[in-house]
Amino acid sequence: MTKNNTIMKIEGLTKYYGKVLGIENLSLELNKGEVFGIIGPNGAGKSTTMRSIMCLINKTSGKVFVEGNEFTKYSIDIKKIIGYLPSEIHLYEDLSVKQMLDYHESFYKEDIHNRRNELVELLQLDENKMIEDLSLGNLKKVGIVLAFMHNPKIIILDEPTSGLDPVIQKKFFDLVLEEKEKGTTILYSTHVLSEVSKVCHRVGIVRNGHLDKIETIDSIKQMALKYVTVTSSKVDEIVSELGIKDVTKVNDTTVRFKNDITMDSLVKKLAEFEIENLLIEEASLEDMFMHYYQEDDTNV
Amino acid sequence: MFKREMKVYLKGFFIWTLITAAMYIMVFMMYPHIMNDNTKESIDEMMKIFPEDILKAFNMDIASIDTAFGWLKSEGFVFILLVVGAYAGILGSSIILKEESDKTIEYLNSLPVKRTNIVISKMLCGLIYVVAMVAGLGIINYVGLKATCEFDEKQYMLLSVTPLFSSLVIYMLGMFIATFTHKTKKMTGISLGLVFGSYILQVISGLSEDVEFFKYFTPFTLADVRNVIENTELEPILIIISLVLCVVLFVGTLVHYNRKELV
Repeated sequence: MTKNNTIMKIEGLTKYYGKVLGIENLSLELNKGEVFGIIGPNGAGKSTTMRSIMCLINKTSGKVFVEGNEFTKYSIDIKKIIGYLPSEIHLYEDLSVKQMLDYHESFYKEDIHNRRNELVELLQLDENKMIEDLSLGNLKKVGIVLAFMHNPKIIILDEPTSGLDPVIQKKFFDLVLEEKEKGTTILYSTHVLSEVSKVCHRVGIVRNGHLDKIETIDSIKQMALKYVTVTSSKVDEIVSELGIKDVTKVNDTTVRFKNDITMDSLVKKLAEFEIENLLIEEASLEDMFMHYYQEDDTNV
Repeated sequence: MFKREMKVYLKGFFIWTLITAAMYIMVFMMYPHIMNDNTKESIDEMMKIFPEDILKAFNMDIASIDTAFGWLKSEGFVFILLVVGAYAGILGSSIILKEESDKTIEYLNSLPVKRTNIVISKMLCGLIYVVAMVAGLGIINYVGLKATCEFDEKQYMLLSVTPLFSSLVIYMLGMFIATFTHKTKKMTGISLGLVFGSYILQVISGLSEDVEFFKYFTPFTLADVRNVIENTELEPILIIISLVLCVVLFVGTLVHYNRKELV
């Protein structure tokens, strides 16, 4: 993707809550039609990043540009083209779902009623229910409709799947992929790593208020990290023979470790021992990120 | 947004107005029955016991409570000033803070709407309800007086308007102070304290010349009921001061709300 394909540019975004760091010096460019994942553990600064981008909180420093124009809390035209789903959604409890969606519609001049109906049907929302009676999952569904219904060019999703059951989660991922096909840019924050592999092009890893790394999903997968689980009465000798330092002992006879040698060498060395069970698996996205985190920790 | 605000605060408006109106209706219904020559004499005797300053505080030195209108000019309007003032103070502070305490401000601010427009919509809604409360109580009391006694209609009309000047300033002050905090409950306490504290200051300012300067620190000075009772006219300078204070406080609210950390 080329530079002029950039739809959102974040420059040196920093937010301190008093002396407490929220996020520091985050710079990032999002391309049109890209789904960018922001992942990190709880308290890493993901929601602060989302809220700062949306101008919901005052930035300590840094700027956000959308289609070349600076996005501030006064930028109404920019807000019109952005859909936002917060991690914890709070809506007007005195309204029914229908009234809430009507209210939302009233802020947009375009006719967005058809899209609203499509989304309500897709997510099986009961419009007659009162907001105060909704479960967390149903509240999230209303939030998704609100974020998507005005056909925004950019959608910012903060922990979008929390509270959703697996069936609705599947529908939600299909919806995100549909938007991706349409060319909508999505900024997707989550701590569930498997989610980003389903929908994202690139992923930024946020930790302790800093954007540590940006990787494409493809490059992460191509790293082909493998994990080996061996069950044998001689696991200690196996570990010693293989020269592995980072081993997880599952029980007295089983160990799990990241394989750093070629598969040929591994099999030949293991063949010297009596093996009860052997499992060689491709690392999950979770394993890969945990691996990066540990690697970075040792470098610090 | 304005329509929604009107709907949200409609119930509160009716509760405050109807309860206050019910109290006045009861007074108007009872007054002709309890007020005869004997009770008038008893009241006159009782008045002699009270110190002059207390009578002045309730305008009883310039209005006789032997008719319902006389009662309204003295105790009645003091109560209206306090009730409308308390309503305006609570409304002013909560109308801005409700979105924050309900945590719906994150949703509202993500919409294509300027913070200035949010404040204007909310301010107009509250303004209408404060004016409606003054008007509603004015109309109900007018009907009650018509059914009870003879009275100076022009004086009554002017008296009915006076609570507006203090209440609107209290309302705007409530909104302005609310931009410095995030907690509605805390602000409700502050608003009520402000209203009753201001009223006490106003009473104290009339007790002696040494403490007369207190009147410059209380919005109740702007509701000059005594002047209306004595001269059947409104003091233009007080109207102008009220308007200027309202505008200044509203601009202050806009400026500070735009800078406020809302989430």
